[in-house]
Amino acid sequence: METGLPDLLPIQVFSQGGGVLLTALLVLSGFIAVSASVNLCSRKPVWQGASGVLLATINLLFIVGFLWICWFHWQIFTKLSLALPENLSGWVNRQLEIMNSNSDYGMPLYNPDAPPRYRIPFWIENEKYYFWFMCYAAMVLPVHFRLQAHRFRAVLHLFLAVQVATLFFLADPFIRPLPQFFSEISPFYRAGQSLMEQAGYFMRLYPKMIFYYNAHYMWFHPPLLFISYGSITIIFITSIFMLIKRDQATEKIGYGFAKLGFLMLTLGMLLGYPWALKAWGPNWWWDPKICSSLMMWAVFSTYLHTRLYANKQSMWYFTSFLGIICFLAMIFTFLTSFYFPGEHTFQ
Amino acid sequence: MKLKSSYDFYLILATALVLFAISLISIYGMFYFKFAQIQQMEPTLKIAYMDRMNQIVAPFIICLILLLGICVPKRLLPTVWLNRISAVILSCVVATGLVYGVKASLFFILAASLVLQTIVLLLALAGSRNLHFHKKGYWVRLGSSLIHLGLIIFILDLFFYANKTLHLILFWVTTGASILGMLFCFYAESVVIRVFGRQPVSKDNIT
Repeated sequence: METGLPDLLPIQVFSQGGGVLLTALLVLSGFIAVSASVNLCSRKPVWQGASGVLLATINLLFIVGFLWICWFHWQIFTKLSLALPENLSGWVNRQLEIMNSNSDYGMPLYNPDAPPRYRIPFWIENEKYYFWFMCYAAMVLPVHFRLQAHRFRAVLHLFLAVQVATLFFLADPFIRPLPQFFSEISPFYRAGQSLMEQAGYFMRLYPKMIFYYNAHYMWFHPPLLFISYGSITIIFITSIFMLIKRDQATEKIGYGFAKLGFLMLTLGMLLGYPWALKAWGPNWWWDPKICSSLMMWAVFSTYLHTRLYANKQSMWYFTSFLGIICFLAMIFTFLTSFYFPGEHTFQ
Repeated sequence: MKLKSSYDFYLILATALVLFAISLISIYGMFYFKFAQIQQMEPTLKIAYMDRMNQIVAPFIICLILLLGICVPKRLLPTVWLNRISAVILSCVVATGLVYGVKASLFFILAASLVLQTIVLLLALAGSRNLHFHKKGYWVRLGSSLIHLGLIIFILDLFFYANKTLHLILFWVTTGASILGMLFCFYAESVVIRVFGRQPVSKDNIT
């Protein structure tokens, strides 16, 4: 970062603390992966008590890390503001009034006494993976204690280990926190800028702050979807086991998470609708991410409908098959943001 | 297998088939958007793309609405009467379509479904045992009625897209009905225990 942001924010402290936490998570996940692999190959359950303790500790570490992220966001809120020199506020407000007059959803005018501040939710950029995998870990914990089947537990644990490894090697939220956000805002804090440069950066940053970073919907739309993603992962694992064996207990667990996942997915998608109208206007319908989300919702809805007849043998297997398709649809929907252009793109 | 449950079963299969078709169209839309580079086009061309996709999906949405039109009265009527009423409704839809156009006929069936579903909801609320549901249990029936009412209002709301205030009000009604319905339907037992502090009336409301 070429600006004075490191002086404003405790970025190094955050990175170092987070690095220790994530390393501890990786080590514990390595242990649970070994235990899971042994259980998967073994006819009899082994190290079940120890894996339960490991799982609880992983959950605890996830929570500590999440609180660490919350603390860092609080630092951003208290220490970073889009404050302008006093003689610029009149000009900026005139520009905002012109913009507001041409728009259905206006932006609040600049108040020099309380300059706008970033209220960033805890699930943007790499942090979203952290939140998603934390939700999955929290879901695995009660399932671990409810269902005694050691191979089922082993697969749940293996998935968790893979997620933590992904977090550590590919999506570390601590090592270089919020890279996109900081690259966007850093020019604003560069020293020795002219007034017009500063006003120009403000006019570029302020709409995104209002309609994206500080949007109320940001606190509901993404986390609800990530909770549903965690549920769908559990549905996927139960569906695989349902294909192998007709076990009512496994099906019951899958259905429990299907209910939670569908509720969260539907609510999350619905809450995205008024936000999209506000932030993007009317021309976003049939955007690739919307298409894939619609597809995923349709598959999930079909899964829940067919599940009503899961007592029939053919429907049991068809429902299980749909549970697996639902997971693949979720992965496809998530990857859409990377490979397809549109309003939701990460490209 | 009883004829009634067979009717339900085939309706569900038909719904699944239509949802599958909508899924395929969605995937087609994604790839078309990417390879035609819609995001780089002028707003008018973007709107043309949206219109074209709407035209492609429209027959399947119509099928979904028609299935909904059959699904809703099935709660109220025995199978023989259901067939008759469905035939009458479909005839009215075709007649309205021929005279006033497709949009008016869809509006007609949605309005009819809305009225019938409101009756179903009120009967479910009153605890009527004459309703035909696959699942038993007061809260499950009430929840299911609310979800279907939410779905009908959601599709109906698309007709009011141009009227922003009404559109958003109906949208929030849809959201409220669907989510409340799901909470009742999925968590009926715990809702009853929380509200009344006792076990639900029927044990078979959770499957």
